[in-house]
Amino acid sequence: MNHAPPAIQAGPSAAHAAPPGRRGALRAGLAAMPGTLHAEWTKLRTVSGTAWLLAGVVTATAAVSAAAVAATKCTTGLGCPADPTKLSLTGVYLGQAVVAILAVLAVSNEYSTGMVRVTLAAMPRRLAVLAAKAAIVGAMVLVAGAVAVAASLLAGRLMLPGNGFTAAHGFAALSLAHGPTLRAACGSVLYLALIAIFSLGIATAVRDSAVAIGLSLGLLYLPPILIALTVTNPVWLHRLQRYTPMTAGLTIQNTTGLHGLPITPWAGLGVLALWAAAALLTGGLLLRVRDA
Amino acid sequence: MSAGTITPYRSAQPAGHDGFPQLLRAEWIKFRSVRGWIIGVVVAGLLMLAVGLLGVQASIACSSGPHAPVKHGAACVTPVPIGPGGEPVSDSFYFVRQPLTGNGSITAQVTSLTGVQQSAAPSGPNTAQTQAGPHVLQPWSKAGIIIKQSTKQGSAYAAMMVTGGNGVRMQYDYTQDIAGIPGKVSAVHPRWLRLTRSGDTITGYDSADGFHWTRVGSADLAGLPSTVQVGLFATSPMHVYESSSFGSGNYNGVNTIATGVFDHVGVSGQHGGAWAGAAVGGSQGLGPNGPGDSYQQAGGSFTVTGSGDIAPVTAGPGSSVGPSGTIEQHLVGTFAGLIAVVVIATMFITAEYRRGMIRLTLAATPRRGRVLAAKAVVIGAVTFVLGLIAAIIAVLIGTRLSANQGIYVFPVSWQTEARVLLGTAAVLAVGAVLALAVGTILRRSAAAITVVIAGVVLTYILAMASLVPLPVAEWLLRVTPAAGFAIQQSLPRWPQVTGVYGLPQYYPLSPWAGFAVLCGYAVVAMGLAVLLLRRRDA
Amino acid sequence: MEATIEVTGLRKRFGPTLALDGMTFTVDPGQVTGFVGPNGAGKSTTMRVVLGLDAAEQGTALIGGQRYQDLRHPLSHVGSLLDAGALQPSRSARNHLLWLAHSQGLNARRVDEVVGQAGLQSAIKRRAGGYSLGMRQRLGIAAALLGDPPILMMDEPFNGMDPEGIVWMRGFLRSLAAEGRAVLVSSHLMGELQDTADHLVVVGRGKVIADTSVADLISAASGDRVAVRTTARTEAMTVLTHAGATVAATGPDTLTISGLTAQRVVTLLGDGAVPFSEVSAHRATLEEAYMELTRDAVEFRAAADSTGAAR
Repeated sequence: MNHAPPAIQAGPSAAHAAPPGRRGALRAGLAAMPGTLHAEWTKLRTVSGTAWLLAGVVTATAAVSAAAVAATKCTTGLGCPADPTKLSLTGVYLGQAVVAILAVLAVSNEYSTGMVRVTLAAMPRRLAVLAAKAAIVGAMVLVAGAVAVAASLLAGRLMLPGNGFTAAHGFAALSLAHGPTLRAACGSVLYLALIAIFSLGIATAVRDSAVAIGLSLGLLYLPPILIALTVTNPVWLHRLQRYTPMTAGLTIQNTTGLHGLPITPWAGLGVLALWAAAALLTGGLLLRVRDA
Repeated sequence: MSAGTITPYRSAQPAGHDGFPQLLRAEWIKFRSVRGWIIGVVVAGLLMLAVGLLGVQASIACSSGPHAPVKHGAACVTPVPIGPGGEPVSDSFYFVRQPLTGNGSITAQVTSLTGVQQSAAPSGPNTAQTQAGPHVLQPWSKAGIIIKQSTKQGSAYAAMMVTGGNGVRMQYDYTQDIAGIPGKVSAVHPRWLRLTRSGDTITGYDSADGFHWTRVGSADLAGLPSTVQVGLFATSPMHVYESSSFGSGNYNGVNTIATGVFDHVGVSGQHGGAWAGAAVGGSQGLGPNGPGDSYQQAGGSFTVTGSGDIAPVTAGPGSSVGPSGTIEQHLVGTFAGLIAVVVIATMFITAEYRRGMIRLTLAATPRRGRVLAAKAVVIGAVTFVLGLIAAIIAVLIGTRLSANQGIYVFPVSWQTEARVLLGTAAVLAVGAVLALAVGTILRRSAAAITVVIAGVVLTYILAMASLVPLPVAEWLLRVTPAAGFAIQQSLPRWPQVTGVYGLPQYYPLSPWAGFAVLCGYAVVAMGLAVLLLRRRDA
Repeated sequence: MEATIEVTGLRKRFGPTLALDGMTFTVDPGQVTGFVGPNGAGKSTTMRVVLGLDAAEQGTALIGGQRYQDLRHPLSHVGSLLDAGALQPSRSARNHLLWLAHSQGLNARRVDEVVGQAGLQSAIKRRAGGYSLGMRQRLGIAAALLGDPPILMMDEPFNGMDPEGIVWMRGFLRSLAAEGRAVLVSSHLMGELQDTADHLVVVGRGKVIADTSVADLISAASGDRVAVRTTARTEAMTVLTHAGATVAATGPDTLTISGLTAQRVVTLLGDGAVPFSEVSAHRATLEEAYMELTRDAVEFRAAADSTGAAR
């Protein structure tokens, strides 16, 4: 085939020159989003690991919730956990670890294979790429998390009455029509999505999958031990309970005893959202500044 | 160009050795030459120290009375009596006694043992400070006869007693406990008790009818002086109960008293003759304003009321000691160091797969099991040394800090302390080997790290931070690799003490049993890893 | 705007190493430009800077007058193949091309077109981890062609190709250039470039050493030699040295002469009545030219400037 060069010279480049300045950059970034989103979605859905990990989120959450519910019996007298909803959502402790793996791998796999250069050559707007990844991973985790939470609550609804959590003891069957339960459920799903974004940001900053997962899990799991075992200074204790990602975030699961909580449920989830945003911003900054 | 054949090449290099020590050296060089891993190991140690010593709190403030000066920190530590075996003990009871010189014996019949519990209702400003509550006998309320070295707290003793729920017991030197005739005591089912002293040996007997005596046991109290105190006693431990629903770990304790009725009391040997009654250990009965400890003598019948306990002290909410801590409290950073160790140990093997270096490694050493064994030894040794250093520093500094702040740290024998320190280092090492094995099995670092952290650290957290109901927490600490943390338990459970044996001071499994569970996981994982490594393509 | 790559004065350091030291050249459409230099000369770094992957401390790299980051749908301007192995092993090759297509707003039909161009139809549904080296290179070329770009940049595309693959690649690159595209191919194997490239940018130590056509480079190299087989070596040497040639004895009965054409040698020997049995001419190869060039870098640059040797 011999085409005349002028056909190529006249340019798409002339028509699509990006206007200068930061507003122009923002506009260009936004214009790139549809393609970038589509590309990131295709990337994630064409790797079998993604489906397995999402299934893992559901399985881990539901299994641990069911085990916790099955192991807890309510006999008369003190010893009955007052919050069966929170009990049914115990599986989130493990489910969040699988979510963290998914989010970390979505970024770290690109670095370990070198594919990040292909990605950034095809989509040079780096912040758009990060935003698209966060959006797609977050959306997937929202869906998987909804299934996981639904399964956990179902297990609780089916098994708790058999374990003594009956109306006679003052416990109604778990139901999403109950306001606080609905809040706990929706909040737990959002919690999982925020954990995904949190881990995604860390992985973008750190790039290595092992260090990223260690850092994510460490930041999540360290504070509860500090709270429970180490720190006794009441000022610091209060701060840790209010401002650390997992402890604050999971206050959303409480349906009873709301007056005694260190932070209100939605505010707690907001704290986690801030952590996730900070991680994403750090990752984005480093992504922009560093060589690919 | 030479004509004809060429002689095959023969290397002039001397043949090297191909043994396991050389393989170890190779793996060690591989490890130490990655700066990131060395830094990571150091970070693990620092994390252990930082988290363990983070119990920085305001000094305890105390004062001995409303007009006494307020003291802080170390001045507030109330000394806990130490028994002959070196363990901290509680030694409070009401003692009706006589001195006994040389050999002799004491016999008595107990016809009743009753108890009163302090009211749990909150008292207002106008009511009495304490009120008598329900008439409940604690399982380990005690009344009986005792031969004791002196009235000093913590001194050696041997006693035969009737208990509230455990029948007749012989107990001596706080930690020893032998069962006698079971069943509750009453007027129709009295219990006869006898203690016979011969030199340093005291033998206990019991009987249901006063004629047929059964030897229960004998105590060898080394260094017993010739003059000892002999007599009747009564005591009753605090009743501890959970004040709210599970997981919050809130406990309340109320004082209790026990009253024993004795008759046919007889002392033989060179004894003092006149009975003197006093409360050992300052036991206060139900409280400052409630019925106190006392005794009454009417003819040959004695009624003795006492409170407190003659037993080793336990830690935790049921403890009769003030603000207290254990040495392993300062090792709570172990799990934080473990996270870092798991990351490094996993990378030690997955890095080989990522770069394809595994082919080079296995070409150099075709005996694949050895390669994995060498890696395990290297990472285990490095982690063990690091863990031991960090643990020793943490405990040294931590106990000093705690003492300065007024926290009583339970003293333990050097063997126990060594077990705790070495065991902590061993938990880190075995955890590293487990991570190495899981990394070999899965070949992907993120999944391997998460599996090990979820199995060891997450379960530890769920149990320790009361994030799951107690039965779930206990099950987790029995069955998952987190059971290994039990090796850090420094205080034993005492069957003869009704304490609240809960986390974090007491684990469901005994120390070595828990550690064996963790080792079991590591062994199984390593076995599977070696199998897969051998069968798979590199 | 022209479809060109313009690199001007790039400077970049990696720690203590100066990777790029004032790199300046232009890649024009309609020809294959070879980007050659020893290992560590800065070829890959330059390409990464052009694609906006690495940031240079000084200088600019423009595609048709614009920065790469400002291009919309960059793959329709520049198609690149930097690292054929940069693939997720568990993803199928087709899906790899599919996400790239989606990022540019293209669809699966375009993917199938480039798969056909690269000759990968039979293996395209297989997972990328199972691809051989040559197949990965073809996949990389297919990816580079997705946007039908007027500029193509390839970093060592001949690496790992078997002879058949090299022949195919050579023909393919030349056909792309014949369509009027600008093709930049980096390599450190001169033999491959000799028949592929029209223009050469020779780099060394982060700088451009020569920017010339292949023909000019070869002819400027003093690699032309004539080999003579004769029994009367001494006489031959005398005659030829008198004429100003450099003669070296390379065997008991062979001489190697540089500085004279073969025709001249035959004439001289005939006039001097020196018997000879064989005269053969040896034309310099690109490799020899390159070796000489990078050895006498400074001298050549001066010569190139004075003779105005450029495109």
